[in-house]
Amino acid sequence: MTAAAPNYELIQQDDLETSLLEVSMGPHHPSTHGVFRMDVKLDGETVVDLKPVFGYLHRNHEKLAESMSYLASMPFTDRLDYFNSMTNNWAYALAAEQLIEIEIPERAEYLRVIMSELTRLVNHVSLVGFFVNDLGALGTPLLYAFREREKILDLFEQASGARMMCNYFRFGGLRCDVPEGWLDRTREVVDRFPKFLDEYEKLLCENEIILSRTQDVGNLSKELAISAGITGPMLRASGVNYDIRKVDNYGIYDRFKFRVPYSKGEVGDCYDRFMVRMLEMRESIEILKQALDGIESGPIMGNAGKVFKPAKAEAYGRVEAPKGELGFYLVADGTTQPYRYRVRPPSFINLTVLQDMCIGQQVADAVIILGSIDIVLGEVDR
Amino acid sequence: MSLLGGGIFKGMAVTLRNFVGSYFDKERLTTKEYAWRNDDKLPERAGDYPKEEAEQLSDTTTVTHYSRNFPMLLHDEGEPMDTVRCVACQICERECPPQCIYIEKSKDKKERGGNKAQFYPATFDIDVSVCMSCQICVEVCPFDAIVMNSQFELSTPDRFGGLLLRRDDLLKSNDYYHKIHPEEAAARDKRIADEKAAKEAKKKAAEEAKKKAAEAKAKAEAKAKAKEEMGGIEKPTETPDTPPADTKKEGNAE
Amino acid sequence: MNWELIGDILLATVPLLVIFPSMFALTTWVERKALARIQNRIGPNKVGVPLTPYGGRLSLFGLGQPAADGIKMLFKENIVPTGADRLFHLLAPILSLIPAMLVLCFLPLEFPWLNGEQNSVKAFMLDGAVIFFFAITGLNTLAVFMAGWASRNKYSLLGGMRAIAQMVSYEIPLVLSAVVVVMIVGSLNAAEIAEAQAGWNWYVFQPWGLAAFVIFFIAALAETNRSPFDLPEAESEIIAGYFTEYSGFKFALFFLGEYIAMFAISGLAVTLFLGAGGGPGVEALPWLKVIWFLAKVCILIGVMIWLRGTLPRLRVDQLMGFAWKFLLPLSILNIFIAGFAWHAKNANEGTAVSVIVWVSALITLYAAAKGLDRVNRAKVKPRAYQYGE
Repeated sequence: MTAAAPNYELIQQDDLETSLLEVSMGPHHPSTHGVFRMDVKLDGETVVDLKPVFGYLHRNHEKLAESMSYLASMPFTDRLDYFNSMTNNWAYALAAEQLIEIEIPERAEYLRVIMSELTRLVNHVSLVGFFVNDLGALGTPLLYAFREREKILDLFEQASGARMMCNYFRFGGLRCDVPEGWLDRTREVVDRFPKFLDEYEKLLCENEIILSRTQDVGNLSKELAISAGITGPMLRASGVNYDIRKVDNYGIYDRFKFRVPYSKGEVGDCYDRFMVRMLEMRESIEILKQALDGIESGPIMGNAGKVFKPAKAEAYGRVEAPKGELGFYLVADGTTQPYRYRVRPPSFINLTVLQDMCIGQQVADAVIILGSIDIVLGEVDR
Repeated sequence: MSLLGGGIFKGMAVTLRNFVGSYFDKERLTTKEYAWRNDDKLPERAGDYPKEEAEQLSDTTTVTHYSRNFPMLLHDEGEPMDTVRCVACQICERECPPQCIYIEKSKDKKERGGNKAQFYPATFDIDVSVCMSCQICVEVCPFDAIVMNSQFELSTPDRFGGLLLRRDDLLKSNDYYHKIHPEEAAARDKRIADEKAAKEAKKKAAEEAKKKAAEAKAKAEAKAKAKEEMGGIEKPTETPDTPPADTKKEGNAE
Repeated sequence: MNWELIGDILLATVPLLVIFPSMFALTTWVERKALARIQNRIGPNKVGVPLTPYGGRLSLFGLGQPAADGIKMLFKENIVPTGADRLFHLLAPILSLIPAMLVLCFLPLEFPWLNGEQNSVKAFMLDGAVIFFFAITGLNTLAVFMAGWASRNKYSLLGGMRAIAQMVSYEIPLVLSAVVVVMIVGSLNAAEIAEAQAGWNWYVFQPWGLAAFVIFFIAALAETNRSPFDLPEAESEIIAGYFTEYSGFKFALFFLGEYIAMFAISGLAVTLFLGAGGGPGVEALPWLKVIWFLAKVCILIGVMIWLRGTLPRLRVDQLMGFAWKFLLPLSILNIFIAGFAWHAKNANEGTAVSVIVWVSALITLYAAAKGLDRVNRAKVKPRAYQYGE
């Protein structure tokens, strides 16, 4: 149903002067997911040109990290993608752990997997809610999603003391052990999650309005996705089987049996991105169940030493964050501070194809395409 | 587009079920009613929280005892400044990622809790408008002097002065700490007690060793004297000159 | 002077001016409560009547909320953007309210204190009521576009454009589905239409009436900018559409106008298809008619709220396609079916015939709807996903 008008030459008549309507959507727009701006040129309702403008939330993350100790930038990684602080912590810890020889205890590895899969649930469930909100559904799915998110955030709070800015991972393990009974509470939440997902799917996945709004909107071809460096669910929606949990087997992911859902066709539209996330949540639940079965008591912190002072080296640690490949690149110069600290943010790189996906679509589509990319401006702007 | 597939009706059935269910099933509710004060009174304006009441509010409302908010300084039983654990070593000030702590060391030393006289913080400010509640200061503190408070009602009409917590605002008793974070506080106290016990044991052992050494020395000396008297030269075989393992740390412990 | 007429007018209008605005206030509360419950929230439950200046209040499930909202609206600053057309910026909300209030007069609300010949609203017994209704509600489009244009805001303009396209398109299926009833009754008079459905002869129980009612209701949602057709005020796309630049009391007027229009169009739907004031017990107690009428209106409003809590919104091209390619052909077909059914029924009396007519009409309509649906079906197709190990 895309308005098929590939030729955007303006109609010029002698007595009639028309011009494109330039609209600056954002930074104070309800559905730009933060302070993000799209300079849109419209022909009627059709997007002729779109220029993403960002940087409103730039806060010097990388340079700041270079002027403080390794550990001190751990809380700042929470604030990159503030929905998924646990996976951010993990990616940074993974990079730093490559700089020094360190053994990570078994229990810590299990807890890391549990935390990061819970994070994936939090992210995907609320992303779907936001996405449907962008479609115009007055927040009903969003609030259902937030109810479930709340339960998981309660778990995070019990484990780490904070709901969103967890700051829980440490080089060589975790900051503290989970309190007594936490694993049982987690199991309860995990066991009840599929029931909620069933309801969610019933509400959304067959709704004809959602189907016709999202199918064939914002198509992203396999070739473009690969050459633009897209990662995460967005890449898998375009039909590429690529998941860093499988590729790198970081942590102890090789011990769990799980599958990576990806699109069979190669359309890669908003609907695919939405469905891939719905399917991924089921797989995360499988991982969580296995991890909760496998976890045993033990120490949670390896012997990292009091002062973290690696020798001259460089390291790149990456994890499959809910939004894609999140990587940290560290160059150590033998002091207590990193010489270079670089983040490879998934939402920033996934955002680069926004223009290609939006041109030729309608204004309303531009909004949902942005929603389906799943950006968090804290990570895009850093 | 198609409207006859029935997906819309399925969705409407879900919302209807939620509409009815929310009246019967408390589990369904997304939100909880905010727990007001017991007397059902609302605060009249910003900054209307007397400090004690705010503390009480933080205790009694939605905050769980796992949650952390802003740091506080611990003191043991007694007058706060006589028992404060902080020795103004300024490690937290150095390590604080957003640099929100400001400490001035005292000029004089003061004895606290039967320990060796130590410095104390003459100024200890935390700007909670900058603090990001990361708990790094708690982790780096070697004296268990700074822990996280869970008090959240900090609204104030003064944006700069009101959010700058001074030393006396930050001082909280260990009992209060036990009240807001029972598990954590118990674990911490146990660890401190264990460490203290271990140290005492060590000290005792060291003292005993010293005593023994002294005895041995005296014996040896006596022996040597005797030998000397006898005219022979023989050096004492052992010189157990064990100093108390950590004299430096000993004074800092509390 | 015809004092009796003036008295009748007052007796007929004053209740309208009391009932519907207070229903508006109540509906905002009900809508907030219902949407909250759909979303598993509690909704407004604090605002109530203060008992003493020092504390204590009667909460009454937050029933004070509409009053609080009203007071808030009144006291908010009236902001007119620089470069806006001040006159039209002011006129637009007024113009959106007036037609909505005006058409309330044509609803066959049979107040018991009115002693007309037909025990009806004598003062407004207009023979062309249905035509008049559509003529006047059409003005609403003008108000919306006026607001969009006068605000000097690109989002407002987009909203205004969308509103015109949408309202003009949906007016056609709206009118065509109402034509069916007019055709069968043979009158444009609302009171006569109500009369024709006395007893349980509601037109919604006829296959053509059901189809017309569904089309009418969908078109009415679009006419009043309700979800899933709330494109002119699509929050996630164009902020608030045509009333982006409105604040305070002007916004309240828009709000009021929108809700009154909802009541009016639901009232018309009740009149045309749901037997107006008909219901159990009206023969014995004629004053029940007003209650039944308002209750039916409330049920329709409830369905609108329910839809709003469930559905996302359509896109502009889908919206227009739905009006022109689905609703319009179906409502034209429905006119023919109604005609045939009426003739068949007039020609042959008997239950068997009417059952055959009933069933065949229903099947034809359903088949037509299915067929149109298939023709219009976008490239919606099931997708397949695979799993990588």
